[in-house]
Amino acid sequence: MVSNILNNYRSVVGLAVVLLVVLLIELFEVRAAIYPVLFPFFEWLKYSSWIGYLGTTYGSVYATVQAGHLISMAVIGGAVLVTDLRLLGVLLKDIPSETITEGTHKCFKYSLIVAIATGIFCAAGVADKVYYMPVFWVKMLALLAGSCFMFFIKQPLLNSRPHEEIEPWTMRLLAVASILVWFTVAATGRWIGFS
Amino acid sequence: MINELLLQFAQWLEGQEYSQMLVSGYYSWNWLEATHVLTLMVSIGSLFIIDFRMLGWILPDVPATKIADRLHKPMIIGFVIMFITGILLVYAKPVENVQSLWFRIKMLLLVFAFINAWVFNSRMRAAEGTWDSARVAPKPLRAGAIISLCLWCTVVAMGRFIPYDWVDCPKVSNTAILWAAGCVNELNAL
Amino acid sequence: MSNGKWDDKTIAAASSAVIILGGLAYYWVGEVQSTVELLELAYGSFKFFNNPLVF
Repeated sequence: MVSNILNNYRSVVGLAVVLLVVLLIELFEVRAAIYPVLFPFFEWLKYSSWIGYLGTTYGSVYATVQAGHLISMAVIGGAVLVTDLRLLGVLLKDIPSETITEGTHKCFKYSLIVAIATGIFCAAGVADKVYYMPVFWVKMLALLAGSCFMFFIKQPLLNSRPHEEIEPWTMRLLAVASILVWFTVAATGRWIGFS
Repeated sequence: MINELLLQFAQWLEGQEYSQMLVSGYYSWNWLEATHVLTLMVSIGSLFIIDFRMLGWILPDVPATKIADRLHKPMIIGFVIMFITGILLVYAKPVENVQSLWFRIKMLLLVFAFINAWVFNSRMRAAEGTWDSARVAPKPLRAGAIISLCLWCTVVAMGRFIPYDWVDCPKVSNTAILWAAGCVNELNAL
Repeated sequence: MSNGKWDDKTIAAASSAVIILGGLAYYWVGEVQSTVELLELAYGSFKFFNNPLVF
């Protein structure tokens, strides 16, 4: 019976394992133990790494990379909005949603890679400051959750079969969760700039 | 002459009560700027999807004019919000923006971007039905898409540069830059 | 075993979407709450306009 569950409910079991790990991390205060250990890395990032050196020495380079981060964020936003508004039945209703999700996924993937690369550069320039900002860690958590959700949950489901065979409320939940998680990543990122 | 007029207008705006309230409120400026930047995802996100389709990079099986038509409304909504928040941002810090080289370049590029969009749209309407299902749009439309991408990327970059003080009036001695940035007092002092 | 539309991937998707939405709601409601508290602290009662902290 156990092997039957493991074979037929792989995704659910995987999700349960992840939730259990998160629960254990919180229960045994692993997060609080890891946090101080990360500080030397953040210090190294800003003061010793070449990206930290470039970012802190040449303001124009930092600002240009930040602009690149904004542009990649705009492309992510465009891809997410087009896909998720189609899943909600708001936009592009006369085009099959399979076509839209398949067509925009590559664009999303590449712009996410650029956003993460430019984001690391931007964070490196102010690493010693962002380490102490709760909003930075919220952004990282949202980014991790959003990326895992997209690549391990949402896209596999949408690629598994025709969309009219998928439970409609699940599609709506996926779309709303996706829009809100990427909005949170963007909004918390903007708030880092204000802090 | 035009720099003096712009500076006088900006100084008049700066003296207004609402301009000072906008810039001094703890949340007002932040929310305004956050809305302006976050709406990028709607306006420029939609625009980039249309441009990428014209270049054949995404959704090649979907008729290009359909993508452009359907994304037109969210794109316009996004640009209207950005326009309103942009005006309010300038209203909050008028002198700083009017005397910012990056702001001036951004405004100029915006004009070019809108002209390009208008030309692009006219060409697209004229050619409708002849190439719609092709993976890649005809050359003039591809050129328009590339120009659009370059212009908007530069607009975003110029917007990002505005808060930086590298070419602020007190820091520059080059006459051409002083004139381009509208640094009236510094030019008069030379 | 699939049960009509509710198969493994669908259950995982729906559950994770609910968890993510719950987490986001917790965060944003908390943010709104702390903002309102700050505004009340500044002005005695929640006020959006003519509030030195807002506009």
